[in-house]
This record gives sequence, structure tokens and C-alpha cells, in this order.
Amino acid sequence: MAEKVRFIIERQDGPNDKPYNQEFDVDYRPGLNVVAALMEIQKNPVTVDGKRVAPVTWECNCLEKVCGACMMVINGRARQACCALVDEIKKPIHLAPARTFPVIRDLLIDRSVMFESLKKIQGWVELDGSWDVKDAPIQNPYTAQTAYEISHCMTCGCCLEACPNVGPQSDFIGPAPTVFSIFTRSENLTRPNVLTRLWKRAALPVAATVKIASKFAPNLSSLQLTSRS
Amino acid sequence: MFHTTFYVRRLHSLCGLLILGFFILEHIGTNSMALAGPAFFNGVMGMVEEIPKPIFYSIEIGMYAVPFLFHGLYGIYIALQANNNPLRFGYLRNWNFTLQRWTAWFLVVFLIWHIGYLRIYLKGVLGNPISFELLQNMFSNPIVAILYVLGMWAAIFHFCNGITTFCMTWGITKGPRAQNVISLISMGLCAALCLATVAFMSSYYIY
Repeated sequence: MAEKVRFIIERQDGPNDKPYNQEFDVDYRPGLNVVAALMEIQKNPVTVDGKRVAPVTWECNCLEKVCGACMMVINGRARQACCALVDEIKKPIHLAPARTFPVIRDLLIDRSVMFESLKKIQGWVELDGSWDVKDAPIQNPYTAQTAYEISHCMTCGCCLEACPNVGPQSDFIGPAPTVFSIFTRSENLTRPNVLTRLWKRAALPVAATVKIASKFAPNLSSLQLTSRS
Repeated sequence: MFHTTFYVRRLHSLCGLLILGFFILEHIGTNSMALAGPAFFNGVMGMVEEIPKPIFYSIEIGMYAVPFLFHGLYGIYIALQANNNPLRFGYLRNWNFTLQRWTAWFLVVFLIWHIGYLRIYLKGVLGNPISFELLQNMFSNPIVAILYVLGMWAAIFHFCNGITTFCMTWGITKGPRAQNVISLISMGLCAALCLATVAFMSSYYIY
């Protein structure tokens, strides 16, 4: 018999149903990650008590930490399931949905609030046509570096799950859309009213909060989010 | 468009650091005089009493009462917006963020008691001047003394962490390195002031 890995999964049948825990055992194999383990559970959704249940619902896409779809709470911390290696995390492994967002079912969450926020701050680059490169404005290296770091943001929502100032009690839109407004404001993409719009909506709380989240954002480790907020 | 939140938060930060920060330092300074003995302390208290009343009351209301109420009430509004999670995400700044709010809640209760009893009841209603003997009598109850030390520590931490966040809020420390340096300095100051509090509180048991 192969070695087993125990998963304790916080499940929920529908958006308004009560959450409950279920335990599953998955055969260990070298290099196993949480997404692969969830795939095994999907193939054979039998709990440790031998009960056959509905397969666990979750979301994943790229499987290489660039899409952000598989963000969930693993052992209490929000992170990407695809790069959560079973060898490197404490067992039994607790999985739960990121409850900052509305839960649709099991580990599947509705992250559209972040995209609504990106619309509010106009967090996109307007490219209405094409231009010759020769006339492009020169960007200083620091701005370019910052913009490059921000462009790594995959809107996974980890930072919203970790940030104490995000939640129903506050109208802060969260670190990811905030930092994106800095990106779209960087020199050659000038849209001067983006940050003022944020202030108008009372959406930016203390910089300290953003600083916490910047430590936590998976792909933005070297970014100084406080610098422009 | 006038962006109220932005300016109110800046005012909250400025008023906390400059006015209330000055008030804390003034308290520590005045109370440290107790180390030099009852006579010296009462002499300093007497000098405070000699400030002409109209000026004294204007300072108390304009410089203390109004900024305190604004900082406290808006601070409660800010604190209610946070959903603290230091146990899940135990970063230093997340702990400081949480402690900033917990110390604030403690201070709201402590200051109502402290100002209500000492300033309004004893000094205002009964007309007793604040003296070394009065404080010594009050601190002879160890529970009161411990609550006062905790109140001072909470205020000192809130003030010192406030220096760090003030520097972030006002864009003085922009990068992580500068923020760490200020954080270290302010926590050093916090430790020093906390020790000073223990020192001057102990003088009520020595003399």
C-alpha cells in the first residue's frame, strides 16, 4: 500500500449553505501538489469513512502560478494550490475557500468583485490603434521596474484574503486593484484621475495595510506598494 | 471634487502624532519629576497651576479636548473597518496594525476613567490640586497602579507605532528599508519610554 496524505476540506454545497468538513486520503507520490491531489479526489470521491460523496469543486487553469485561478486557503494561508507541494506543507492538509469572496460551491469562489474594482479604477491600458515605437515616451528605470512588477499581478485575490481592511465592513477595494491603478498611472499611461477617483470612493485606507499585503502578494515580493499610495 | 476621506485621514494622523504625541511626552516629562521627590513634583505642579486660567482652559479645550475627541471618534470609525487576522498572517506589521487598534480600544476606556476621575471629578468638581500625595494615595491600590502602567504602555506603543505609520502615510519613508529603520527607531523609543514609565511609577512606592 502506498503512503496516504490526509486532506481535510471545508465544503459547502451552495452559496447559502452551511460549510462542513470532509476528510479524504490521497495516495502519496513524489512531487504531488494540492491541485493534483484534488484531481485524484475528483476521480474517486470517497471520504476516509468510505462514503461516496459529490466530487469537490475547485478552480484551476494554468497549473504554473500565473493565472491565479486556484487560489484557496491552505493550512490557514491564502495561496495558489498549484504550487503548494505536499512535501513542503504540514499534514493533514486543511483546504478552505477564500471567504473574503462569495463562495459558490466547495473551494470555488466568485472573484468578480475584483474585476468590478478594476473597472472602477479603469485598470486597463487604452490601446486604440497602433503607434510607431520611435515616439514612445521615455520611462525611467524605476518606474519601468515598478510597472513590470505590478504587471505580474494575476488578480488571484490572495492579498484581499490577507488584508484586514478588506471585508463587508469596509469599502476598501483591496491591494490588487489599488496597485493596478498605480500601474495604469505610470508615466506613459497617464490617466490622472484614476487615483483621485479612488480617494473619492474612500477606497484607500492606511498605507500600512497595503504594506502588509505587499509582503503577502505571491508575485510582487520586491514591490514597494506603499511608495505611491 | 473635495476628497474628504483623504484629508480627514491626514488630519487624524497629524493630530495624533503632533498634538497627542506632544501630550504623551509632556506627561512622561512631568511625571518623571516624581523621581526627584514629592517636594520637587509638587513644585512643578504648582507652576502648572500658575498659568492664567483663561489661557490654561483654552489650551485644555483647543489643544487637548478637541483633538482627543476627533482622533478618538474617527479612530473608532477606522478601527471598526479592520477585521484583524494576526494569528493567520503573523507578519510584524500585521501585529503592529492589530496592536494599534487593541491599544486604542484600551485607551478609550482608560482615558474616560483617567480624565473623568482625575481631571473632571477630583480637580474640577472637588477642586483638589493634583499632588504627589494624592497620586501616591491613588497608586497605593496595586490594581490602579497596574492599570495606569498598562494605560501608559498602550499610549506609548500607540504613539511610537504611530510614528512609523505617520512616516508611511505622509510619504516620508517610501521604501521598505527606510520603513524598517524608522520602525526600529520608534520601537526603541517605545521601549525606552515604557521603562521610564516604570521608573516614575515606582517613585510613588519609594518616597
